[in-house]
Amino acid sequence: MLAERNDTAIRVAGLVFTVLYAALIAWLFTRQPQTVAQITGGLASTIGAYSIDDRSFGDGLRFFRNDQFVEARMAFARADPAVRDARTQFYIAYSYYRQGWGRLYHDDALYAEGATAIDRAIALAPSGRLVVDDENLLMHTGEELKAELEAGRRREASDFNPMRVFRERK
Amino acid sequence: MTGAMREAVVLPAAFLTVLLLGSVRMAQSTVLAPPSVFALVLGLLLVRVVVQSGALAPERLMAASRSAMANLNGAIVLFALWLAAAQVVAVLIPESGLPRIVFAVFLLILLINTAAAAPDRIRLLRSLAVTFGALFLLKFVVLRELSATGTSGLKRVLQALLEGITLGALLQPPSHPTTSYLALLSLVLFLVAVFLLPARSIERSGALIRRHTTSGLERHD
Repeated sequence: MLAERNDTAIRVAGLVFTVLYAALIAWLFTRQPQTVAQITGGLASTIGAYSIDDRSFGDGLRFFRNDQFVEARMAFARADPAVRDARTQFYIAYSYYRQGWGRLYHDDALYAEGATAIDRAIALAPSGRLVVDDENLLMHTGEELKAELEAGRRREASDFNPMRVFRERK
Repeated sequence: MTGAMREAVVLPAAFLTVLLLGSVRMAQSTVLAPPSVFALVLGLLLVRVVVQSGALAPERLMAASRSAMANLNGAIVLFALWLAAAQVVAVLIPESGLPRIVFAVFLLILLINTAAAAPDRIRLLRSLAVTFGALFLLKFVVLRELSATGTSGLKRVLQALLEGITLGALLQPPSHPTTSYLALLSLVLFLVAVFLLPARSIERSGALIRRHTTSGLERHD
């Protein structure tokens, strides 16, 4: 009788373990994490336990406002190692936009990186709605930034308009 | 190890680990690749061969005489075996080009041939170990070495010639050495897990007794 009860307990425990393990594998296949930090952060975020490093985020913001975009991205990456925070990813995308922006031409490679980052940010935002209240920015939503990055990579007749040199960086 | 522990914990864990380890493709970025549809089909064939050989007795995993929980555990083992078998096949098939097609067709023919030969459990395990080992060496040693970026001038010249002759159909995308280690680990773990499956005993199987009889083993009885 005791052995039978033990048997059932082992079977139930095994079933629970297998279901959890299979769910983890399915999650890994879906999310395709690249680092251990992304795995742990991603798992933590699924139970709402993930938070960014505020100090590193503050450093990133300071660099960003000083137009030190490479340094800003390094700090933002440190703040959000699991790439799970929409706001941080928005700033990373914005840093690519500002670094790639030019009066005469835009840097396509940086704009492409920015487009990837803003797509990621929008995907992470609840219901895809991403709004960042920052008075220092001229674009506050994911849609605005995405449209700007995509427009910058398109070849159009307006690219040859000499008046474009008077345009301002957002 | 009790039967319940083996069925409910060890075997599912082993097969799911094979699925996970076999999916890792490390190069410039890490990709976790689930088995393709073709690999799943070949995986089914592999499961069929495992059952046919007696290495797995499905009736010892799922039967009317067992409890619902035991049957559920058994069904999970069968499903996990299928996924792991498909992943093992996917691990052994090269990533691209002509070798991918050749290896896939070879594995298909080999599995059909093995099913036709109807080996017993021990022979099947030996055959799988040899086949997997040979394909592993071909993919992760020979093809990988051919495709690795040349360090010397001569190797680069030979590589360029090979690429030119085969129109780039032979060379594989570069991969990190860790991929090879993980692939080997998943293959070994799969074979160990297949060895641990509840097998059909000779006494219980008329077919196996007949096979032993026809191969001349009966004179020892």
